[in-house]
Parts: sequence; C-alpha cells; structure tokens
Amino acid sequence: MTDALIALVALPLTAALLALLLPRIATALVIFSGLAITASAIALLYGVNTAGALHYELGGWTAGLGIALRADGLSAILLLMIALVMFAASVYASAYFGKASERAQFWPLWLLLWTALNALLLSGDLFNLYVTLELLGLSAVALAALSGKHAAVQAALRYLLVGLLGSMLFLVGVALLYAGYATLDLATLTQVVKPGPIAWSALTLMTLGLLLKTALFPLHFWLPPAHGSAPAPVSAVLSALVVKAAFYLVLRLWLDVFADIVTPTAANLLGVLGAGAVLWGSWQALRAERLKLLAAYSTVAQLGYLFLFFPLLLALPPGPARDVATGGLVMLALTHGFAKAGLFLAIGIVQQRSGHDNIQELGGMVQRLPLTTFAIALAGVALIGLPPSGTFLGKWQLISAAIATGQWLWVAVTAIGSLLAAAYIFRILGHAFGNQPYPHQAVAVAREEWPALLLTLTATLVLGLAGAHVWTLLENGS
Amino acid sequence: MLTTQWLYALSGCLLLALGLRSALLHPALLQRILAINVMGSGVFMLLIAIAYRGPGMPPDPIPHALVLTGIVVAVSATALALALARRLTREQPHD
Amino acid sequence: MNATMLLIFDALLLASIIGLAWAALASADARRSVILFIAFGLLLAVAWGRLLAPDVALAEAAIGAGLTGALLLAALQWQPRKTADTTNSEQPTHTLLETGFRWLVTLLCAALAGMLAWSLTQIDAGTAKDALANAVAANIDASGVSNPVTAVLLNFRAYDTLLELAVLLTAVLGIFALGPAQAGYRIAGPVFTSLTRWLTPLLILTAGYLLWVGAHAPGGAFQAGATLAAAGVVLRLAGRDQIGLPRGNALRIALGAGVGMFLLVGLALFALGRPFLGYPPAWAGALILLIETAAMLAIAATLVSAFIGGQPTEEKTRC
Repeated sequence: MTDALIALVALPLTAALLALLLPRIATALVIFSGLAITASAIALLYGVNTAGALHYELGGWTAGLGIALRADGLSAILLLMIALVMFAASVYASAYFGKASERAQFWPLWLLLWTALNALLLSGDLFNLYVTLELLGLSAVALAALSGKHAAVQAALRYLLVGLLGSMLFLVGVALLYAGYATLDLATLTQVVKPGPIAWSALTLMTLGLLLKTALFPLHFWLPPAHGSAPAPVSAVLSALVVKAAFYLVLRLWLDVFADIVTPTAANLLGVLGAGAVLWGSWQALRAERLKLLAAYSTVAQLGYLFLFFPLLLALPPGPARDVATGGLVMLALTHGFAKAGLFLAIGIVQQRSGHDNIQELGGMVQRLPLTTFAIALAGVALIGLPPSGTFLGKWQLISAAIATGQWLWVAVTAIGSLLAAAYIFRILGHAFGNQPYPHQAVAVAREEWPALLLTLTATLVLGLAGAHVWTLLENGS
Repeated sequence: MLTTQWLYALSGCLLLALGLRSALLHPALLQRILAINVMGSGVFMLLIAIAYRGPGMPPDPIPHALVLTGIVVAVSATALALALARRLTREQPHD
Repeated sequence: MNATMLLIFDALLLASIIGLAWAALASADARRSVILFIAFGLLLAVAWGRLLAPDVALAEAAIGAGLTGALLLAALQWQPRKTADTTNSEQPTHTLLETGFRWLVTLLCAALAGMLAWSLTQIDAGTAKDALANAVAANIDASGVSNPVTAVLLNFRAYDTLLELAVLLTAVLGIFALGPAQAGYRIAGPVFTSLTRWLTPLLILTAGYLLWVGAHAPGGAFQAGATLAAAGVVLRLAGRDQIGLPRGNALRIALGAGVGMFLLVGLALFALGRPFLGYPPAWAGALILLIETAAMLAIAATLVSAFIGGQPTEEKTRC
C-alpha cells in the first residue's frame, strides 16, 4: 500500500523527464501517466481508508535522520482531487495548445507542477516541505508566464517574488524549530513542541509565509493578475490547487503540529482576514469586467470561507463536533477545487472562440457554446453554494458550527458572501443567455468542453450527493 | 548557545530584517531580487550558527546540508527572476 | 588572548557583511548594488569557513557569489541604469502617507528580528540538540561516504536533493520558455583568449577534483557543477558561442541527467525490493558517485544555460 506514496511522486517526475526528452509523444505520455497517477491516488485513498494513516521512510532511514512520506485521510482526499483536476486539465490542454512547440514547453513544466503538488501533500518533513514549496512556486510561475505576453510576464514576476518571500519566512520558522527541538520530522515535532516563544515565533513566521502564498486578504494583491493572465489550463490549476496546497499546510500546522500552541485569539484573527477576503473578493468579482478576473477574485473570496473555519474549529472541543466541522471545511475546499478548475477551463474556451473575455460583450453565447455555458452555470451553482453542490454542505456545517459556538458574525459574512456570489454569477449568465446574436464562429471541441463539464458536474452533483463519504474517509484515515 | 553562535545568529536575524525591508520597499526590481537573496543569507547564517559547536568540535552536518540545498534553490529562483525581468524590459508592445 | 582575537575577527567580519548588505540594498545604482552584493557573498563564504562549514563556504563562493554574481552582472546589460548625470533632484520625494508606510514596514521588520532574537534566547541547553548529529555519526559507515555533509545530502536526505535538482530543472525550463538565448559577446582580445586557454581546463580539472573529493572531504556535486559552469561562463565571456554546451536533444539529456540518474537508481533499488533511494551499504559509495557525476553535469548545463539567458539556438550544420 505504501507503494502508492512513492508512485505519486515518482510517476509525474519520471513523466516530466520523458516529456522533456521525447516531445513528440509527450501528450500520450501525459495522458498515460495521468491515468497511472489517478490510479495511485485511488489506491492510496483505499489504503488509508482501510489501514489508517500511512507512512514510508525514504531510503530506509528512520524519520528524523531521513525523510518520511505520510498520508492520512485529509491528504489522500486532496491528492485524489489533485489527480482528477490535473488529469481533466491535461486533456483540455492537449487541445488548448495548438502548436507542437507550445506543447513541448508546456508538458514538462506541467508535470513538474504535478510532482510538486503531490510531494507537498505527502511530505512529513519541515525542510522537505520548503523544497516542495519552492518547486511548486517556480513551476507555477514558469507556467503562468508561458504566453510570453507583457501582462503575463509582469504578473508572473510579481508572483515569483511574493512566493519567494513566503518561502523565506517559512524557512526561518523551520530554522527556529530546528534550533529549538533538533528535529525536522513533523510527527516528532508534534509530540515535543511546547508552548513558548520558539513555537509562537515559528508558527507566526510560517503562517505569514503561507498566507502570502495562499493569497489570504489583504495579501491577495498578486493573485488576480497572475491567475487572470495565465493560459486557461494553468489558471485552472493555480486557482483550484496551488493556492490550496499552501492552505493545506496552514491547516496541518494549526490543527495537527501546533494544536497545543494555537490560541482562539489567533484563530479569530485568521477568521477576520477570511471575512475580509469573502467580502472584498466577492465585491471585486462583481465589479470585474473580464471573466478571468471575475474568476480570480472569486478565488480570493472562496479561500476566505476556508479561513472562517479556524475560529470555529478552535472553539469546538476535539471530538465528533469538531470532526464534523472539519469535514465541512474539506468539502468546501474540494468543491471549490473542482468548480473553479471547470470554470477557468470553460472561460478559456470562451476566450479562445471570442478572442476576448469581456463580460459585457458575451451576449448570446449560449447559442453557439451551449455546453460551455452550461458548465459555467454549473460552476456558478457550486460557487454560490446552492444545493445539491458540495459547497452547500460545507456552508451548512460552517453556519451550524457558528451558531453552535455563538459566533454570529461569521453567519452574516457567509450570507452576504453568498448573495454577492449569486449576483456575480447571474451577471455572467444574464449576458450569456441573452438573445443577441453571438458574432463569433464557435466550433466546440469535445476535448475542451467535456473536461470543464465533468469537473463542474463533480462539484455540483457528485460531491453533493456522495458527500457523506468524505466524512467517513476523514475519520477512517486519521 | 556560545558567544560565537550568538554573534552570528543575531547577525542572521539582522540580515533577514534588512532584506525583508528592502524586498518590500525598494523601488528597483534588481535590488528587490538581491534583497530576497540577502534574506536567504540571513536564514543560512542562522542555520550555520545553530550547527556550530565551538572550536575543534565537529559541527552538526544537517544544517550544512540544508544550507547547501538552500543555496542551489536560491540561485534557481534568482535565475528565473532575472530571466523574467529581462523579458519584461526587452518586450516590445506586440501582443 | 586567542579567544579575544577571534572575537574581534568575528565582529569585524560580521560588521563588514552587514555593512555590505546594507550598502548593496540602499543603493539606487544597479551596478553598484551588484558589485557590493558579490563582495557580500565572498565575505559570507569566509564566515562559513570560520564556522567550520567548508562545504557551504565552497558552495557559497562558487554559486552564491560566483554564478549568481555572473548572472547579475549579465543582467546589468539590460537593466535600466541610473546614469550619473541625473541630478540629485531625482531623489524620490515621499508623501506623508508613503513615509508613514515606510516607517511601518521598517518597524515591522525590526519587530520580526527582535522576536526571532528573543526566541533564540529561549532555547534551553538541555534539549537533545545533538540527537540528529549523533544519528548521522552513528550511521555514517553505512552511508558510503565519510564526509557527513555529503552523507546527509546524497543518502540520508537524498530525497531533498532529488527535489532540489527538480527545482533547478524547473528554473531552466522556465527560462527556456521565455525565448531564445542572447547573442554572444564580442570576440575577446588575444590576452583574454590565451587566458581562457589555460583557465578552462583548470576549471574542468578542479570540478573533477571537487566531485571526487566530496566523498570524504569538503566538495561534491554542487560545488563541482558550479566550477564546471564557470568554465562555460569564461568561454562565453571570451566571445565563443560554442561553449561546450550541447544543443537540442543532448542539452535536454544533460539538463535532466541529475533528476534522471537519481530516479533511475532510486526506482531500480525499489524494484529490487529495497526502499526507494535505499542504497545497499556495499554499493552506496559507487552509486553516490554515479548520481553526483550526473548531478554535476546537470548543474553545470543548467547554470550555463541560465547565464546565456535561454535555449541556445539550434546550430545550422555549417562545418
């Protein structure tokens, strides 16, 4: 079962090398390895569900001297989401990049990004996490700059500098923890870490660095231009997966490693920033003139909801009540991942066919691109949080936990955010379903439309209807 | 900690703060890239100071290995940042 | 007496390092900043030597100051430089708000340094801070090398190094995606050309030595790769477009060699029933040397590619 841990890192990395050396068959390689990675992620999830948390000591050295890979229910679920979203986006990208020379540059970097995401989710070592963060950051930046357009390169450079700043702050925390506890192994650290200046400072620095990378308001300034000017499949995974990888680490640090260190006051601060993100991000999405910017600001807002959970989780005693709320958080992160990836892919189709993505000028889109418009509508259902989407279940838990702990402010924020989301989604749909003649020749390509549709369907139907399994998996895999 | 460790660790903190300030405030791109490298050097100094055990004593090799990795990661990131910056200045408005 | 001298040395060294960093970052002139930064890197190498970290000192001198310096100097060519004739009136004037913001950032940075320093005072001497160092010492005989830093990098924490080579590969592929390399420099004069004639083989020899010696003394793939890259940089500066860097497929193989060899060894061992990257002790030394050789080539190819700023254009065969 632990073979899957190795496969999830070794497969995309080997495929990246092969795609670099054999550009002619790179597309087939990506699809083939994508299937193998997805199979490994399913095997891992199965293993975690039956045997509980798994770990693998690399090189056979005990964790501490060596590095351990670890997976539990949370990381296994997210790894499967990564596999499915990356696979769908790979199929899409094979049609999106028309020229062979574009694909030759794209595939190796794409697979390196996949390697980084999997390695980050599996890493059980503080310094190794730093290396995976840098691998993730550099591959994301290289992909974001791929179009070579001025705006894209400018946004990518800012993205790089912010990301490096974040990694540096993270690394200071790692150094401090090593000075204090002489270990880099997360599991060991969880047991020995004590409340005190070292733990507080390290947690502050690492969290600050990760908040920069996950673009929590008001540190989100770099995200809209970077996600708004990258190629469509890249925007999809940046918004759906890359920012979420940094969020996953915050969650891991706050709820696992530093569980005895964090205080309700600190969690409230994260909640306030999350509320700011929900309100500001939704408002900016409503005002955005371009579809891609709308989607990017919506990401800022949706990440905010995830941070609203921190004050709630800290207020609930460890046990069933907290686990139920954690499940809601995971559900929200999953749904956003699928919905936002699908939305960006659909927007990419609109942008390629129309030559622009100005919301005002998309009247009548539904006549020529019915499936794409439908995918956007489905993504909208999930972003607003209407039933039966997974977001509905997630927000339900959010509101329940807020009421149970008497934190009414977060209920109000969630309500206002959902109303604003409804407004910005219906603004797109109002134009798209208009009866103006759509002036562009739009040929639908199945390889582009179906990935978008399947991702958004997963967010609205599959996650909503099969939601209970997420809670079971989290419980069995701990 | 030993006095030597203190001296170097504190200098590392100072370099980190200097670098962070310039990374946030310096108007020129090149200096901002340098500033992030100075921050990195600050962290490296902290790590090497932690590893030090006094004259004649073998130091802890693990922070040394971490810093070696960090140096290579830093040069990779710097090279990519410089290439992006060059592309930006070379770029003619043709898109 | 010896201790006092050493303390004075430390104080002077650190004051110079901090002063150089300050001056490099305070300057508005790019050229000045870069030159001060290179000096800063060289003094850092002295500091690492002083703290008994010779492996890091070599890497800092070769990569931190050397190759990064070369990259930065190359960047000066296109960097819009503040020319000397702009008068001091160009000094940016800040509004009250901006000044307030600058002070706020400065204060926050100072607070951060203070917090960090305060935390360091709280480290209790009682903790088992040597636990990992002792574990390294206890297992070094099974690692295949006797230099503990190489043992950590290529054996105990080999997975870090594998991903680090992937970071290097990502950076160079990202650079290639941004466009072709720049044209070479003008052909250098006879003095520099004859200088390169003996400097290049010397650098290549040094690289080989560093690679070999890394198993038991300071050195290793990264220092060797950077030295090899320096040979490429020297040739490039001498105006050669042919800088020993292969083209096309051969270049791609060289760039991927480090990650490739690592994966090959790791997966082969895994297939034979050993842990991923778990070398049998009897073979560890040879396998590490194999991986390090491939890594050295990859590092050198990557750094030279980064220096010339893009993928070298495919040579038309015109011999």
